[in-house]
Amino acid sequence: MLVIKDLTKTYSSGVQALQGVSLDLPAGVFGLLGPNGSGKTTLMKIVATLLEPDSGSVEMNGADLITRKDHTRRMLGYLPQDFGLYPTLTAWQMLDYLAKLKGVTNKKERHALIDVLLERVNLSAERSQRLGGFSGGMRQRLGIAQALISEPQLIIVDEPTAGLDPEERLRFHNLISESTTETTVVILSTHIVSDVANLCSHMAIIRKGKIISTCTPGQAVDQLKGSVWEGIVSREQLAAFKSEYNVISSRRLDGGARVRVISKGQRPSEELTEATPVLEDYYFDLINRQDQ
Amino acid sequence: MKNPFHTPFAAVFTNEVLLNAKRVTPYVLMVLFAANAVLWWGWGPAVQRGWATNSDFYIRRHMGGFSFILGLPIFTAIMMGDIVVRDFRLGVDPLIFSKPVGRASYLLGKFLGSFFVLVCCQSVYAITLVLLQWVPFTGMVFLPVKVVPYFKHFFIVVVISHLALAAIYFAAGTLTRNAKVVYGLAACFYPVYIALQLLVFLKLPKIFNVLFDPLGFNLGQGGLLTNPWNLSADFLNKAVASYNFDQYANRVSNIIVTGLLLLLVYFRFRIDSQEKKAEPFTKLTLSDAPDRMAYSAPSYGSIDLPVEAVPVRDRITLPKVSSTKGPAATLSQIISALGVEFRLLRAERGLIVLVPLAILLSFLSVPFSRIATEVSYSVTSATNTANMLLLFLAGAIVFYTGEAMNRDRELKIEPVIWSTPAPNSVLLLSKWLAMTLLSLLLVLVGGLTTIVTQVIRGYTPVDVSAYLIINGVVVVPGVVFLTSFVVALNVLLRNNYVVYVVAIGAGVGLVYLYNLGYKHWSYNPLLYQLWTYSNLTDATMLAHRLYCLALAAACLALAHVLFERGHASRVFFAAKRHKKLKKISKTS
Repeated sequence: MLVIKDLTKTYSSGVQALQGVSLDLPAGVFGLLGPNGSGKTTLMKIVATLLEPDSGSVEMNGADLITRKDHTRRMLGYLPQDFGLYPTLTAWQMLDYLAKLKGVTNKKERHALIDVLLERVNLSAERSQRLGGFSGGMRQRLGIAQALISEPQLIIVDEPTAGLDPEERLRFHNLISESTTETTVVILSTHIVSDVANLCSHMAIIRKGKIISTCTPGQAVDQLKGSVWEGIVSREQLAAFKSEYNVISSRRLDGGARVRVISKGQRPSEELTEATPVLEDYYFDLINRQDQ
Repeated sequence: MKNPFHTPFAAVFTNEVLLNAKRVTPYVLMVLFAANAVLWWGWGPAVQRGWATNSDFYIRRHMGGFSFILGLPIFTAIMMGDIVVRDFRLGVDPLIFSKPVGRASYLLGKFLGSFFVLVCCQSVYAITLVLLQWVPFTGMVFLPVKVVPYFKHFFIVVVISHLALAAIYFAAGTLTRNAKVVYGLAACFYPVYIALQLLVFLKLPKIFNVLFDPLGFNLGQGGLLTNPWNLSADFLNKAVASYNFDQYANRVSNIIVTGLLLLLVYFRFRIDSQEKKAEPFTKLTLSDAPDRMAYSAPSYGSIDLPVEAVPVRDRITLPKVSSTKGPAATLSQIISALGVEFRLLRAERGLIVLVPLAILLSFLSVPFSRIATEVSYSVTSATNTANMLLLFLAGAIVFYTGEAMNRDRELKIEPVIWSTPAPNSVLLLSKWLAMTLLSLLLVLVGGLTTIVTQVIRGYTPVDVSAYLIINGVVVVPGVVFLTSFVVALNVLLRNNYVVYVVAIGAGVGLVYLYNLGYKHWSYNPLLYQLWTYSNLTDATMLAHRLYCLALAAACLALAHVLFERGHASRVFFAAKRHKKLKKISKTS
């Protein structure tokens, strides 16, 4: 569906944000995972036509998204990482304005669409409230509502759950998953691993402007079967463990530490037992190995 | 004893200086002031009249000119108006006020820090003049090189005058938390100040002038400064510009007024967010609509993927809509965007200042006593109103268009709007139209006020056609040109503060040129000093006005061509960027 080829972007400050990024995204929710400053937002902005790449291409169903900006914007739903709203407009007025900008000029159709959108994001009761008084979660829900205007084929959501409380985050996951169809590509950029585990059928990990892994979350977890170990070790052992093995996490306890270790093929110590791998293990293993 | 350099006040002060050092505005101001000094040095009245360019009299005289004539009161507003507002706008306020910083330290540090930077910028004028003493100029009369008088007069005439003005702007900006109120005040500074001088201070006892005039305008040395034209050059070159008691009293009064204003700010300043206070519906409401969990939250549990597909019945079914293209859709989008612009403008407290000011200026422009009229009383009134309103509108358009053009970026809504398929013309024209219509509304309000004032004073009959002709031929095309020019400037420079300085600098430079006699219509689109009522209906005038509108169209076309979505840098930075990229690719 969406093919990204050899995208490069260097900012005027000299920072190389993207260094030959290539991805093949099928329909469904695609998770783009990476630490802060890894180039996720730059990639999202380029796909959303808000930034020119230095080289490379982005195509969806054969159509070039970079050169055909108007075409791209007609099929795009974009929720930026850090976006604002006019504080003096109401939720309804804001959606009405953005719907008009998206080309929905038929008044009846537009009003019906806005009513349904507000209902789906559970803001119907707040439709006449000014946006200046909205909470973070409400703003985010309005953000996804505006991204869904005019049946977008490509939805880009950049770090949508950062700063949301757990309940609001879960509702946001539901909204995203309910918004996808068989022909929609949703790109979810995040640094929260559980967002990808919860939502995405495919994922990629980006670090320092390069894609370091592309797979499904299931494949990622499968790769670590039999390699994740967990248990309590003494504090004296901890330092040796850290130098010898890939320690994913360590939590200090009285007289020792609970560690989670990646060790392929061999059991690191008698104190450790095999644990079920999760996506975080894969992510931290990969990042740690890259750092080394 | 506590080290004074380690106090919260010192921290706020130095941070304010540091912040200003990273802005473009102070540097642009320095360049403007240096250029201004060169103009006064080489092309001022001294050269023409044989006055010594570094005589005490001339130094004192052009320090007064620098302080008043060439836009300095407006530049002071730019530097001092939004110091505290900026912290609230950027959301830094909770970080600062959660630290043990007293209100007095914070406010005084902010005020003095920015004022210090302003004085540094202003001092470039005095320093340039001092240095120019070593630059000979043909036909110039010189006295031996001197330094002290420059800084003495600079301190007394410029610094102390602008201390009070800075305090006024600072108080207005900090207490209203709205920079636009300050810009409104700055835009009407000249009309209001001149009107006050002519209509109020001249008729009141001198003590009022001494106490309440920040610039001490009419407290000169018995005509030495205000009317030296009949005095011999030799006498003027030997004259010592001393200060009389009234002038010293005025300077002291300025300092006291500044102190009182700062005290007022100290007592009235609140650290809580005013906007949130005004929103009674602010609450954290979590949605309870999606009652189905899409997936169990696995986090550290096992996840057997691929993930469950969402059942079709749970998917959002949105009503079908048709997306339209073409001129009709664009027009609809422009109207919608214009509606939003007006809703946003309506919510601005700045308008509460602008409209009454337009009314006040129009009221003041009607002479208080019957004066010699050109054609009729209506023509004289309409002419005065047009001249005064144009000056006022020029300032208002620069400030308000700058705010409108940069509002989307400040509110971080640009990425949302820019990712829509709305053409660039919609985004630009909506803002241009909103500002043009607002300005025309102010012209209408001003015109109606003048007519009503004329009727109330009994100067009837009212010649409405005079108002229509003068406003239609002079003011309306001028407003259209000004708005288009400022829109283009904002697109090109993409920083409203730089736009303010460049626009005011260009305006001041042009007025200076016009006053020197260079006022050809080709670079005088507002026809400053080029029209009288009798020539407004000439064919030549029609051509001039068409030329003005053509310039406006060219500005809009240029803005449209240069407008780019998603790029922080503008055209003239592009070359630099490419050069850097080439360098990077070479290195790699």
